[in-house]
Amino acid sequence: MELGILLIKVFVVMNVSLVLASLCTWLERKGSALIQDRVGANRAGAFVESKRWYLKPALPVIRAMGWLGVINTLMCDSLKGLWKEDFVPEGASKFLHALAPVIAVLPIMLAFAVLPLAPDFTLGGYTIHPRVAAIDGGLLFVLAMGSVAVYGVAIAGWTGNNKFSLLGALRAAAQMMSYELPMGLVFVALIVVYGTLDVYSIVEGQQKLLWGFIPMWGIVLQPVGFVVLLLAGMAETKRGPFDLPEAESELVAGYFTEYSGMKFLLFWLGEFAEIALFALLLALLFFGGWDIPWVTLPQGAWWAALIGHIVLMTKVVFFCVLQIVIRWTLPRFRYDQLMNMGWKMLLPVALANLVITAVLKVAL
Amino acid sequence: MSFMGFVLSAVAVASALGVVFNRNPLYSAFHLIVNLLAMAGVYSVLDAHFLAVTQVVVYAGAIMVLVLFVLMLLNLKAGSGRKLGIFRPLCAIAVACSVVTTVYPAVESNFKDLSLHELQEKAWRSEGTVKAVGEELYGRYVRQFELSSLVLLIGIVGAVTLSKRKEGKIGPREGGLGGGK
Repeated sequence: MELGILLIKVFVVMNVSLVLASLCTWLERKGSALIQDRVGANRAGAFVESKRWYLKPALPVIRAMGWLGVINTLMCDSLKGLWKEDFVPEGASKFLHALAPVIAVLPIMLAFAVLPLAPDFTLGGYTIHPRVAAIDGGLLFVLAMGSVAVYGVAIAGWTGNNKFSLLGALRAAAQMMSYELPMGLVFVALIVVYGTLDVYSIVEGQQKLLWGFIPMWGIVLQPVGFVVLLLAGMAETKRGPFDLPEAESELVAGYFTEYSGMKFLLFWLGEFAEIALFALLLALLFFGGWDIPWVTLPQGAWWAALIGHIVLMTKVVFFCVLQIVIRWTLPRFRYDQLMNMGWKMLLPVALANLVITAVLKVAL
Repeated sequence: MSFMGFVLSAVAVASALGVVFNRNPLYSAFHLIVNLLAMAGVYSVLDAHFLAVTQVVVYAGAIMVLVLFVLMLLNLKAGSGRKLGIFRPLCAIAVACSVVTTVYPAVESNFKDLSLHELQEKAWRSEGTVKAVGEELYGRYVRQFELSSLVLLIGIVGAVTLSKRKEGKIGPREGGLGGGK
């Protein structure tokens, strides 16, 4: 039974990460069209017809999904990726070439394992913790997986066997290393505030009220930390104003220049999973997770957990949309600006934030 | 140790051999990454989750990325290193022997009367390993901890001093976000 519960949890968590990633894909395709005043994907499935009586009721739904571009982005694109030629550049190690996209995706999916998706609840006599691995130091695990994901990019750039890939990989490695530091320091400040490394306990710490009326959310207690983490996290996902590693005007496509077919799509999946992971982190650490301010739900009831999950996912989708809007709004940085911002702006601010937090924690 | 522990140990040993016997330095670095990750796995099988995660963050995540970065920047070809004489392998064996003879008695004397099971029990009782590690580091070993951080600080200052450019030479382009100087 224990094993069964664990397997169900693994299944649910994997699906949450994949569904969020595909939702981000759709938001990106259709959202970018909206922002750029285009129409976007609206053909595949929009004019579907059938004479079978049992398909008749489903037709309006399929047509609506086709019209909104859902079928195009989620089905047609991935099928196209599967059928395309899988090209391996000459002189590259076949094994490493295949390994790189896997390493780009796998750590991000693993990081979801330690993040809680709903409050604990009891069902049929079992207390269920809606996260796969309840290790202490869960926050550090997320950071560790983020730093392992760099290898996917580095190996991809190296096996590409050309200068554009290599330059993109070097840029990506330098960028991700630089922005990991302020990110880690913000995590340390949060750990100081809530006195725990466990993400679940941090979320529980945010359910209280400060002076009786302000919710003790991370954004209230760590506003500077939130801004630093938002910037550092967007740089970690290598997207938008920070997409120097794949700057198409300079590097063709950066580290995945030589990738095609499903391997290419895996890099995109990793990127969108990273967006979802980062949105989940922001919602859990800074916006109270499943907390609705001034509303107390009963502990342990399954319907309360369900409401909590829906509230959390609403916050997550909000942050996914925010990241996509930022990505399609701001122009790309120059490389020296990127490095200056990481080392001369974010790092000192994060350090000062940590020192001030520690002093306040001891003084109060 | 469980079955997983033995598998991970075997992976660690095999990848360590791979580090030594590969002609291409980049492949050696990849093997070292596998080795460090396998060691992290062994720690986590022994319920030392904090140590495992720290191993991944620091060694696999930061130091090895730098090593890989430098190797990729130099773009070395396979087997471009010098031929090994008899002197270097002898040196390596001597160093390995001295490390083992120094570390092994210390490990044995500390954990002789404790079985692995008892160690795990201890770790669980102290409310997770993070708290246990913290209490040891900032309690019993606080002087050693502070001294080693001082050594690291000296290392950082030394690295900055060595890599600092002389004034007047061509530096990186100014005028970034902070407006340069």
